[in-house]
Amino acid sequence: MSLHPMYARPRDLEQATQLLASLSSGAVIIAGGQEIMPFINYGVMMPDVYVDIGGISALRGVNVESDEVSIGALTVHRDVQSTAEILERLPLLAYAAQQIGGGWQVHNRGTIGGNIVAMHPLYDIAPALLALDTDVELLSDKGLQRLSLSQLQNDSSHGLGSSSILTRVLVDTMLPNALWGYYKLKNTAGAYGSANAAVVIQMDGEKIASIRIVIGAVSEKLVIISEALDGCLGCAYTLEVGQAIEKACVEAIDEPLSDQQGDGVWRKAMAGVAARRATEMALSNLTNSSIKR
Amino acid sequence: MEDLLDTSALIQLRVDGELHELDVLAGRTLLDVLRDDIGKKGTHLGCKTGHCGACTVMIDGKVAKSCITMAATLARATITTIEGLLDEKGGLHPIQQSFWDEAGLQCGYCAPGIVLSALELVTENHHPSSEDIELALAGSLCRCTGYQSIKRSVAEACVRMYPADENIN
Amino acid sequence: MTQGKEELEGYVGKSIRAKEARAPLIGKAKYTNDYTFSGQLYAHILRSPHAAAKINSVDVSGAKKVAGVHLAICGQDVFEHTNGITDHLNPAIFGGKSTRLPCMAVDEAWCFGQPVAIVVAEDERTARYAASRIQVDYTPLDPIIDVEKAVAKGARSVVPGWEDNTLIYVPFMNGDTQKAFDTASQVITTDIKIHRFSSQPMETRCYNAMWEHDTQSITLYGTCQNPHPLRLVIAETLRMDENKIRIIASTIGGAFGLKMHGHPEEPLICLMAKLLGRPVKWVESREECLLIGAREQQHKVQMAFDSDGVMVGLRDHVLANIGAPSACPGWGMVFLTGLTMPGPYKVENIDIHMNAVTTNKPSWNAARGYGKESTAIALELAMDNAARQLGISPIDLRLKNFIAKDAFPYNSPTGLVYDSGDYSGVLLKALETIGYQDWKDRQAAARSEGRYLGIGMAFELTPEGGTIPGTMVAGYDSSTVRVGPDGTVRVLTGITSPGTHNATAMAQIAADELGVDIAKIEVLQGDTNSSPYGFGNYSGRSTIVGGGSVALAAQDVRAKINAVAAALLEVEPDTLNLVKGVFSSSAKKDATLTFAEVCYASYTRAYDVALCIDPPLEATRTFKPPGISHLPDKNGRINPYPSYSNAVYVVVCEVDADTGKIDLLSLAAAHDCGKVINPILVEGQVCGAFAMGLGGALTEDIQYDANGIQLTKSFKDYVMLRMADIPPIGVAHHDSPNPDNYLGLKGAGEAGVGGSAAALVNAVNDALEPLGVLMHEMPLTPSRVWAAIQDANNGEGVN
Repeated sequence: MSLHPMYARPRDLEQATQLLASLSSGAVIIAGGQEIMPFINYGVMMPDVYVDIGGISALRGVNVESDEVSIGALTVHRDVQSTAEILERLPLLAYAAQQIGGGWQVHNRGTIGGNIVAMHPLYDIAPALLALDTDVELLSDKGLQRLSLSQLQNDSSHGLGSSSILTRVLVDTMLPNALWGYYKLKNTAGAYGSANAAVVIQMDGEKIASIRIVIGAVSEKLVIISEALDGCLGCAYTLEVGQAIEKACVEAIDEPLSDQQGDGVWRKAMAGVAARRATEMALSNLTNSSIKR
Repeated sequence: MEDLLDTSALIQLRVDGELHELDVLAGRTLLDVLRDDIGKKGTHLGCKTGHCGACTVMIDGKVAKSCITMAATLARATITTIEGLLDEKGGLHPIQQSFWDEAGLQCGYCAPGIVLSALELVTENHHPSSEDIELALAGSLCRCTGYQSIKRSVAEACVRMYPADENIN
Repeated sequence: MTQGKEELEGYVGKSIRAKEARAPLIGKAKYTNDYTFSGQLYAHILRSPHAAAKINSVDVSGAKKVAGVHLAICGQDVFEHTNGITDHLNPAIFGGKSTRLPCMAVDEAWCFGQPVAIVVAEDERTARYAASRIQVDYTPLDPIIDVEKAVAKGARSVVPGWEDNTLIYVPFMNGDTQKAFDTASQVITTDIKIHRFSSQPMETRCYNAMWEHDTQSITLYGTCQNPHPLRLVIAETLRMDENKIRIIASTIGGAFGLKMHGHPEEPLICLMAKLLGRPVKWVESREECLLIGAREQQHKVQMAFDSDGVMVGLRDHVLANIGAPSACPGWGMVFLTGLTMPGPYKVENIDIHMNAVTTNKPSWNAARGYGKESTAIALELAMDNAARQLGISPIDLRLKNFIAKDAFPYNSPTGLVYDSGDYSGVLLKALETIGYQDWKDRQAAARSEGRYLGIGMAFELTPEGGTIPGTMVAGYDSSTVRVGPDGTVRVLTGITSPGTHNATAMAQIAADELGVDIAKIEVLQGDTNSSPYGFGNYSGRSTIVGGGSVALAAQDVRAKINAVAAALLEVEPDTLNLVKGVFSSSAKKDATLTFAEVCYASYTRAYDVALCIDPPLEATRTFKPPGISHLPDKNGRINPYPSYSNAVYVVVCEVDADTGKIDLLSLAAAHDCGKVINPILVEGQVCGAFAMGLGGALTEDIQYDANGIQLTKSFKDYVMLRMADIPPIGVAHHDSPNPDNYLGLKGAGEAGVGGSAAALVNAVNDALEPLGVLMHEMPLTPSRVWAAIQDANNGEGVN
């Protein structure tokens, strides 16, 4: 807790990891700052050291290799929304990034890495990424670690934000016949999400071949619903199937959040409504239309 | 590793056309540096949490909330504030003129977010729809106008700057 | 859109663009926080983390050790240097309780956020850090957060020494309500809960106080709606003479009542400057600003109707949770809610009980509407409920019960005298503006598709220009008009602007009275050293009393100029014409003089042609609206308002029954604010108030946990509406001028929050009528709307 914090801007990953390792505690990694600056401004967080990773070029850029899209952690939301590789290969992610609140200002400065590291239940990027096949790369002085995003969600020892750096987000290109939907329930235009649902479905003709739904903003951790939906596999999407999906998603929520966005009873129910609407979006023609910035 | 660490950072900002080399303490916001170090008071403090947009500037041509931007992280940047829009003769930018003509603002405190977001919008999209305007200004709060006169002003600015093509119906 | 003066027709009534609007557009307006002075220091206030607690000790030694700290003191120190803060509105005048209002808590903190210590340092960050080093030993007390607990028998007193927690009880009774209820055909009861919400202007408060060593006086730059009255408050609180205090309210970024005086920081920051001999600035954080609330009250409205649907009796029992005592005038809103009953309705038998109850919540300040918006909410929700139960349309029920157009001036059962109005006309105009029948058709079509569309209307009566005897809430104001030797004009006025551009309205009036181009007029406001004594901005008074006094002063100066022009031209003054800055006379062909020449002569020829006048070309006049009467009638009532603006708001919305979310489809307002000086300014006020009311009804809410700790800390939690939330607003005017005020002005700017909030609630209830949902508690967040739908269907939800 310091009135005179220190600042460092390592020029590359090696320098960054060495620096982080040499600092015992009280170090905070900063990129766009959209997440941590409000806490800094109010004195809620008073780091001893700011490690600014904004100058590290290895954290930038979007590349594709063998159908895996590698997104640098410093990629800003605006670019996630509009970069050709992401629009073509990960349209669900591009769309979810458009739903991020805070306006163009936040889209211009906020990074995908910062958003994921925040692990904020109300945010939009993680639900979309969890509905896809996503790994993340974490770098510390102990080396480079690759793990799935869902593993990361459950692992509190990752040290992200203070001792290890999220370097790249790796997502498999969505299959050509994958349908996707994203529904964000907000009380009003400027509110945070009360219930988010990301859906990826594959159809085999008229029948559902696979379906994965991720619910965000309803509970502290994001909820991935997959096996609970096995009953829909091989079925056409009917009213009953929609209701079954809704019910399964509601039941998957154990401890819904209660805050000014809404109480837990409602949120639990909204998990189901959001899931169903995201599913319907996936199945409609909307997914085929071009995405505006 | 110690030579990496300092209580401050040297940054180079070109603010509204003027170059400033500054040694800024870690943790300070771009808003405070603009207002207190450079004396640009036109950009305002509204919430310090990045919700209201009154602190908006453009960083390298893109709107950003200066109250949640750490100045030290801007090693080299071009900043446009609301004070940087006048032409060489001191005349109003077409967007400012439109806000004037349409009585767009009342107390004016929200102007930085409103005007600069409108500038980014019209730069990218010469003929925005009503919904496009709403999305572009989603980061800005106004408490006085109910947004009606603001929307009118932005729409008028777009027409003023990019009169519709005769062939477009 | 054109602007400018049309030949011989004047500026008043035209949408003249505000000159003062240019500065913020180019980032050059000077808001209070933009001033920084040589030797500037910064203050940070340590606030109570408890809703109620004994303060056993405050140890500031840790703060003093931090480099850059100039001062760190606690309530006991402040107590030694100050009196209690002078009330903006003393409840004792009205038979209520009063108590010493400290700038800082001494032995006991009575709300979350109350100042407990203050640090002044070289910069804000240091001050805040040092404040975190202050050790306070508290013994928490059982907090009283809910009004029911506060009024329960044996409840602990929030204010030590008070026998109970009711700050003031005000009844409004007239006629024989018991008989009316006994003989009524039907009585309809509506329980309404208005929540705690807040004006939250984009600019928070800021005070920068300076000790002037040469004159041993204080200059305070502050976000103050009422600079002159605040001088007296600072003087009395700091035990100084009033003529040693200067207040400068520079450009304000929105106020809406939140910046009316009474805040502890006002004298506190001045004290810091005095103790240190250096300028001290305090900038309110948004979290601190969110402490300031208003409006939280419960109504039990009972309306008695005869068999024709005419209201014969009105009862209301109100419990208002006003939080901890304060020198701010927030409590007065409760009084006003009752005083404004029964609004536009002609019922004479009333039995209304207003209870302003103190609790351990942070204090109220005034908020746009000042209680009259709550009258509208209570009455209009109850009227719609009554309409439903009586089987009469909400339009017809209102038309049946409005005061008739020819009944003005109208003596209300609470003692008010309404000046003029055509309430039915306003309602019909609003409905026409929204396209009511078309929406009704669309509603029917939507219902057949299983969608829920609703149309809601509400009336808001807004007495404007209020004045309360024995207080600084005064119904008059003054302005000085000065015309210089070159013919340019300065207007100095006691009214201030919260950002509404009333300076332009004043300039329009002055330009018309003087016969000059508006570009030649500068209006100065806000500096107590230069403006004549005034009461600032509140209650929609600026155009009434500001405009009125400017007109009188300008008329005086014009008479002087005319006299000199006549003397120079050697004609009678009544033969003069002034066109485009040139005087001529019908009595003398080809003889002309410029306005500037006449002005110059007025200054330089005092002993020959200008002998007929007293130089210089300056006059200070006061406007006292004649409609006010502070001499009590036989029932002991007074009429503290000169004029009665009114409006109807209509909201069309669609409710998503699966989520409870409300989508606004169309909005309209028809407004009577008497004569309109500047239509585009008025329209701006109507739209702004509409958005504020909708925000309150839909989403804005200040919440506390069971211990009275405030949960709503930022705009993440306190969500206001954005551009995408609000569809176009159709605004129509339906003016009936005030017969007494200058030009028939009634005032605009305060009205709208209540009517729009009520219209929204009524629209939602209209939409959900097929589901049997009835909601009378705000805000109508999706979570609550959904819960109401579940309850109405016995938990089965919607198919």
